Amino acid sequence: MKPSDPIDKNDSLGRALQQWTVDAALPPRFHDDVWRRIRLTEARPAPSWWRDLLDVVEGALCRPALAVSYVTILLLAGLSIGFAQARQESARMDKALGARYVQSVDPYQAPRHP
Amino acid sequence: MKRGALILILGVVLGLCAYCGFYFAGTASRRALLESETPELEWLKREFRLADSAFDRVVRLHDAYKSECAEMCRRIDARNQELKELLAKADQVTPEIESKLAEAGQLRLQCQKNMLRHFLEVSRNMPPDQGKRYLAWVQEKTFLPEHKMHGKGTASVTSDEHRHK
Repeated sequence: MKPSDPIDKNDSLGRALQQWTVDAALPPRFHDDVWRRIRLTEARPAPSWWRDLLDVVEGALCRPALAVSYVTILLLAGLSIGFAQARQESARMDKALGARYVQSVDPYQAPRHP
Repeated sequence: MKRGALILILGVVLGLCAYCGFYFAGTASRRALLESETPELEWLKREFRLADSAFDRVVRLHDAYKSECAEMCRRIDARNQELKELLAKADQVTPEIESKLAEAGQLRLQCQKNMLRHFLEVSRNMPPDQGKRYLAWVQEKTFLPEHKMHGKGTASVTSDEHRHK
């Protein structure tokens, strides 16, 4: 069965469309512009996962509650890591200074300069 | 720049500032010790909570002992050199080597007696509880190497290197 042509369903519209002619001239370099746009569209890089992630993060950080939480967490992380590393480093320096004292009083542990 | 990106960077910068601030504040006192003229004595003052007057006495004792200690170092080095030369030539234990080993033993004994006398004197110039703590600590570090070999956690890097397998 042949599919019905929609134009045939509306005779007056179909007739008008078949009689319609375009007299306006195309703008200069119309074809070149069309092909240039096609080429530009094809050359545009596909959206990457990190760009998507960045968009999601940026979108989330625009919400005040999330932004405040994010800054607070980083601040607390910085404080606690700084505190822990300072304690570790202080303990290391204490041990080194203690060893230095022992070297200063024990001739058998004193550093020898050849 | 977008607002989200600004907050992202602000969080990282604040975190880094907090880390650096706490780290430098937390290590400031030790760094000040290291920059002092006698860091090991300043450490002793801090570690055993010495008052200024007690610290002055300990410094005087330390200075007096240092010349004795330097002389001992010189004698140990000389004895070690003699022993080294004898051992380089020997293929068995000669009476001469035995004699040098005995001398080295005597020297060690003398050295340990001097050290112990100094440690006791220093500990007497500290508050009693700190003096006891000082004696226990310094004796472990100087007279009790066997303890270090089998001790857990207290062994220094040097003693680890010499630990018997």
